[in-house]
Amino acid sequence: MEHEETYLLMMDALDGELAEDGRIKLEAHLRACPPCLQEWQAIMVVHTLLQTTPALSPAVDFAQRTFARLPNRRVRIWTMAAIYALLLLGGVLPILLGVWLAFVLGPVLSEPTILSSISQSIGHALQVMGTVVAALLAGLGEMIVQQPAIVGWLLVLLGIISIWGGVSRQLIFQPAPQQIS
Amino acid sequence: MNEEQVWLDEARQGDKAAFGKLIEAYQTPVYNLAYRMLNNAGEAEEAAQEAFIRAYTRLDSYDPAHKFSTWMLSITSNYCIDIIRKRRALLLSIDEPLPPHPALMSDNSKGPEAQVVMNEQQEMVQALLSELPEDYRETVVLRYWYDLSYEEIAEMMDTTVSAIKSRLFRARRLLAEVGQANGLVTMNDSMVLTAVS
Repeated sequence: MEHEETYLLMMDALDGELAEDGRIKLEAHLRACPPCLQEWQAIMVVHTLLQTTPALSPAVDFAQRTFARLPNRRVRIWTMAAIYALLLLGGVLPILLGVWLAFVLGPVLSEPTILSSISQSIGHALQVMGTVVAALLAGLGEMIVQQPAIVGWLLVLLGIISIWGGVSRQLIFQPAPQQIS
Repeated sequence: MNEEQVWLDEARQGDKAAFGKLIEAYQTPVYNLAYRMLNNAGEAEEAAQEAFIRAYTRLDSYDPAHKFSTWMLSITSNYCIDIIRKRRALLLSIDEPLPPHPALMSDNSKGPEAQVVMNEQQEMVQALLSELPEDYRETVVLRYWYDLSYEEIAEMMDTTVSAIKSRLFRARRLLAEVGQANGLVTMNDSMVLTAVS
């Protein structure tokens, strides 16, 4: 009999699932194979040790102290209900408001003069935004030219923060262990 | 409806006292699992308390089709594995001397000699368990102290029955190897062969 088959029989024996023919095979192999007998001895000792070791109890006031730490579930349930209600209202209200506005203001807004003035206003607003963004970019460009050291330091700081962020993530969040099958 | 289901229903409606009864009923299995996994009395107590708090706050996600004990042990073991990973991340060695469990120091219900023998046995078991990787340790603890079936353990650990069988098989061999190296083997051949039958 192969050793691997012996191990399977050993496990069945430990689980109390060894059939009669398996028991005969295992006994015969153990009598003929000293290394397997030695391993079986060791496994049996450990098995018996684990089986006979009682569970450990916590300190006598453990339940009391744990009970004192329990959060108030009723408050939590009401808080969650309130949050969900708010979220629901927050989602539904704007839709209702939009539908109402469409009904009320729809006929007015569809007038050609109003439509053209709205499009003009949007065009002006976009022009203003474009001017502001262009000014900001021009200012940034000037700063890069005049103060390259400050920009360099900012880039170095960003690099350091990003590296340390990665390192700390590696240290704190270990990858999940692979299943051994 | 049994007593446990009544407590669970009441606890789900926010009755803390009902959950208190569940804590009293399950404190030993939950604490024992935490201690076997973490090998540290203080951490085990903290983990057991945290497991009960998590169970209480997540009662809505408990599926009554499963045993409450299995669900509770699953929360405990997951939390313990998180602690072990954080411990590893903090580069703390589990080999460093740990404070013994209070029950190993004093128990008036047994005689002094029996107490010494029991303490030695508990220490030996902890020393052996600490040699196992955490997933093997979890499997061994669930199998030996909670008498869970392979199917239940697989469900708890979110894996297959064959993976659990394989883990237990390797864990037993590894424990036997460590036991042999520590001179634990004292049975004679006839005892061993009797044990087969």
